[in-house]
Amino acid sequence: MKETRRAKALISEYFIFVIFIALVVVLTCLKPSFIQPSNLVNILKQASINGILAFGMMFVIIAGGFDMSVGSTVAFTGILAAMLGQGQYPIIVPLVVAMLGGLAVGIINGVGVSVGNLPPFIMTLGTMTAVRGLALLISDGKPIIGISEPYKAVAASSIFGIPMLAVFLVIIILICSFVLSKTVYGRRVYACGGNLLAAQVSGINTTRIRISTFAIAGLLAGLCGFLMTSRVTIGQPTAAESYEMDAITACVVGGVSMSGGVGKPWGVVVGCLLITVIANGLDIMGVSSHWQKIVKGLIIVLAVLIDVKGKSKKR
Amino acid sequence: MEYILEMKDISKTFPGVKALDHVQLQVRPGEVHALMGENGAGKSTLMKILMGIYSKDPGGEILFDGKPYTATSPKEAMDMGVAMIHQELNPILDMTVYENIFVGRELRRNGLVDKKAEIEQAQQLIEECGLHVSPKETLRNLTVAQCQLIEIIKAISVNAKVIIMDEPTAAITDREVELLFGHIRRLKEKGVAIIYISHRMAEIFSICDRVSVYRDGQYIGTGTTKELDEGQLIKMMVGREITDVYPKLEADIGEVVFEAKNIVRADNKVKGVSLSVRRGEILGIGGLVGAGRSELVEGIFGMHALSQGEILVHGKPVKVSSPEDIIKEGVALITEDRKVTGLNLSGTVNDNIAMVAIKKLLTHGLYNKGKARRASEEYIEKLNIKTPSVDQIVGNLSGGNQQKIVIAKWLLNDPDIIILDEPTRGIDVGAKRDIYLLLGNLVRQGKAVIMISSEIPELMGICDRIMVMCEGNYSGEVSREEFSQERIMTLASAIKV
Amino acid sequence: MKKKKFLALLLTGAMALAALTGCSSGTETTTDEGAGGETAAEGGDGTYRIALIQQHQTNAFQIGVTEGAQAKADELGVELSILSADQDAAKQISQIEQCVSEGYDAILFEPVDPDGLRDAAKAAADAGVIMINIVSACTDWESAGISAVSCGDNVKAGENEMQHVADLLGGEGNIAILTGPSSTTDTTARLEGYRNILANYPNMTEVVAPADCEWDTAQAQATVESWLSAYDLDAIVCQNDGMAVGAGNAAGANSGIVITGLDGTPDGYEAIKDGRITGTVAQDGGMMASSGVEAAVTLLEGGTLENNLIIADSVWVDASNVADYE
Repeated sequence: MKETRRAKALISEYFIFVIFIALVVVLTCLKPSFIQPSNLVNILKQASINGILAFGMMFVIIAGGFDMSVGSTVAFTGILAAMLGQGQYPIIVPLVVAMLGGLAVGIINGVGVSVGNLPPFIMTLGTMTAVRGLALLISDGKPIIGISEPYKAVAASSIFGIPMLAVFLVIIILICSFVLSKTVYGRRVYACGGNLLAAQVSGINTTRIRISTFAIAGLLAGLCGFLMTSRVTIGQPTAAESYEMDAITACVVGGVSMSGGVGKPWGVVVGCLLITVIANGLDIMGVSSHWQKIVKGLIIVLAVLIDVKGKSKKR
Repeated sequence: MEYILEMKDISKTFPGVKALDHVQLQVRPGEVHALMGENGAGKSTLMKILMGIYSKDPGGEILFDGKPYTATSPKEAMDMGVAMIHQELNPILDMTVYENIFVGRELRRNGLVDKKAEIEQAQQLIEECGLHVSPKETLRNLTVAQCQLIEIIKAISVNAKVIIMDEPTAAITDREVELLFGHIRRLKEKGVAIIYISHRMAEIFSICDRVSVYRDGQYIGTGTTKELDEGQLIKMMVGREITDVYPKLEADIGEVVFEAKNIVRADNKVKGVSLSVRRGEILGIGGLVGAGRSELVEGIFGMHALSQGEILVHGKPVKVSSPEDIIKEGVALITEDRKVTGLNLSGTVNDNIAMVAIKKLLTHGLYNKGKARRASEEYIEKLNIKTPSVDQIVGNLSGGNQQKIVIAKWLLNDPDIIILDEPTRGIDVGAKRDIYLLLGNLVRQGKAVIMISSEIPELMGICDRIMVMCEGNYSGEVSREEFSQERIMTLASAIKV
Repeated sequence: MKKKKFLALLLTGAMALAALTGCSSGTETTTDEGAGGETAAEGGDGTYRIALIQQHQTNAFQIGVTEGAQAKADELGVELSILSADQDAAKQISQIEQCVSEGYDAILFEPVDPDGLRDAAKAAADAGVIMINIVSACTDWESAGISAVSCGDNVKAGENEMQHVADLLGGEGNIAILTGPSSTTDTTARLEGYRNILANYPNMTEVVAPADCEWDTAQAQATVESWLSAYDLDAIVCQNDGMAVGAGNAAGANSGIVITGLDGTPDGYEAIKDGRITGTVAQDGGMMASSGVEAAVTLLEGGTLENNLIIADSVWVDASNVADYE
């Protein structure tokens, strides 16, 4: 009795992993070139930017928030990085400025939500629109070209056959997982999302924690802006349209609860890889991109359905 | 120094309301000091000021350990040595037991969370408390009572000089209460002062040393429990004498109107229990926490799948697959956790009362606001609900009034059989008495009532018959003539020992 | 109390920001809907007042439109106000109505939706305003009161691009196509041009279905990366330069794969120079806009047009002539 229940719980917890493996097997059978090392490298590259964004988003969602503005922030900081990355400064300058730009947006979001008491959706919808405008404004609506060779090389190069982008992703994953599972701060992020009032009366400075989660999301969006510009070799004000949705999808599919307080880093990794593999696999099979959207939509709903079902069974 | 904590001349004004009017409180080290008063008397407000959740009005002072004390957040209060167990505070359900115990004051090693030490210490605390759960269990999988005990453990384990306990026993039964009292006595010996808020008279007299009473934001007085008796205390609280705590109205008992036969829940939390209730009868269901009482009525009500069982309303079998099916047959369930399953806390009184019986409030198929208001006003009067208007947000009302609104919402639907799960949990003497009278009136009108309660005196006071459950099983039944506390306790722990 | 203060602060901040935005975009004499009063006051001295309503101003092509129109207006000595509809048909309709009521003599606009803007154009023309379409035209434009259309021809531009690809491949090879959103007329017309040419070259095969990369560089880059690990491609034909740059990034510089774009924007030129893409077909937005302004002035002065459909030719740009276009 108890064992079957435990088994069921286990399946529901690792369901997304099972789906992922199944998908990989199916794609390999249908198109053997899918599993070639060169394509695996592609998947890593393609998963990186969304993965980093998703990890920032994970902090916000676990703490009970929601961030619509990260896509715009990527575009805005990407423009900043492109403007400063023309070779006139060392490569660290565009990186730092992009991350600071993202951080600033994140802090504004955080203050609006936790001090101004605005619903996260409204607050970040506002910054999403405003920051996109800012990106168009500083770039005058045009793509920024002429970034330096060393800057282009950041995303294009690889170490021991592993693309640099993936190296960035892995570093971010390691840091974020460590922070969430091992540090006091991480524990408190979960507490805030689990029950804000309980966290407050337990002596946690919930305002600071919530601002910090938005700040982390912004900071990582800034990093993504920097990497994005390096990857596409131009700074585009219209780039990263709806990337926030992909990041949220990766989180939700990976088992992060939209009501806060629940979510594991490895789940987000799988969620993010799953989305990338769907896109990559369907591209390889030459399936129309319209189908990709349908498949992605179905997977989101399915994942959340399982999440909700799994919970209602318990209580 | 005589007092560990002195609050003098404290006032608190909310927009339009004077919640506290120059009140005081003096607590000695090593004493258990009860705060009593009806809901709205200002006890919670006073404690929230102490915890730094509210700020007091200018004037007045707080001395802690002889020194001036101000706290602007719970964290500051805790740092200074004041901890609080909040009434009906939901714990963090998605966290484990040990994480909940140490939330906000995580144990550290090398700057990181020391999980191992937390688990070990939590294990020890849980054992001391006589609780049988793993520290690694998620709270979502625990019962309400277990969660409440975790809250208590959490506050006790803070090394505080003053611990405020706001209704700590609201959701636990006698066995756990005894364990809690054991803890309180140990804390007393260590010189810790406990401020104890409860509506249960018996507890006040068995554990508390002194009592301070408040009424409508005013300080009434302080006395020792040795000098006071129950009657005097009630008089201080309500400002008038209540001679009869458990009013029992006589009603004619008629034929069986509701029967549930051999109920087995799919999750096996109820293992074959039958019950029946007659017109004009109040049936009590007693037992320890976790005995499966709530699970039984929720199963009957279609909130959980049954693997076996038959339900008959007025002798007619009813197939129940969702609450809707049984509501149609004139059965109402007033659930245990009113904040989660009973009320829309951000809705108005009117919204809530109109929720169930909305079909009665329609005119030509459309919602008739005027009708709804009149209906709400009628019940506010009937049930003696204290609210400024029908447009008041329910979340701002006291627990007793919230409970009455839940009842009103169901009564508007005019049910024949009313099931109540812990209807008096966490509400004051006056409001309790109102509810007892209400139940008495309902059975007089020919309705049948089933009531779950963990307070045996309450069950004995107003029920005609008490059924006792133990570990998901039926363990016996006692009729009014044979009522005795021991008898019921024996049945409640029948299979254990 | 505290909340109110914060709100006030927020509002002030937002207003300051808005003021800042207004100032810095003023270089183009661009005006927002509300700012028409200023120009109306200047219009009294007999110069023609013309409004240009662009679909949006968020890419290099559109900025070219802005600049071309402004240059021509300065040259002819007419007053030009430039507005952006931000891809919103409803907004464009109200902008047209606003311009009519402010007494503009002519309105140049690039319809966000070929059908949705017809009624608004008709109403404006009936009110005596000269209506001209640039870049693209309303459906059945003559009956919608549009006096002239100055545009490129997307089908011809598509033919131009694919013809060059066919020439470079010698008429045979595996090709793949990246498109914009299938719901836009730009996409379908360019694709039609591609197919017209492909019909003449049976040995050029499309090995995968055209992918909709929404004009986006990063998306194109990911798609082409994936393709390259599964298909042997000789050419990748893209419907704009942004996507061509993405394809070029995926393939790497001088990959031997023919990668072409369309539009002729700075990012495309840069990629041509460093060998990531082979060439592009330049659509001259500036030319379309300036011809439109010229046509408007001609009509306002009572003249007639030789042809009220003015086509701006597309030009093939590759490494040999890219320097002329930057």
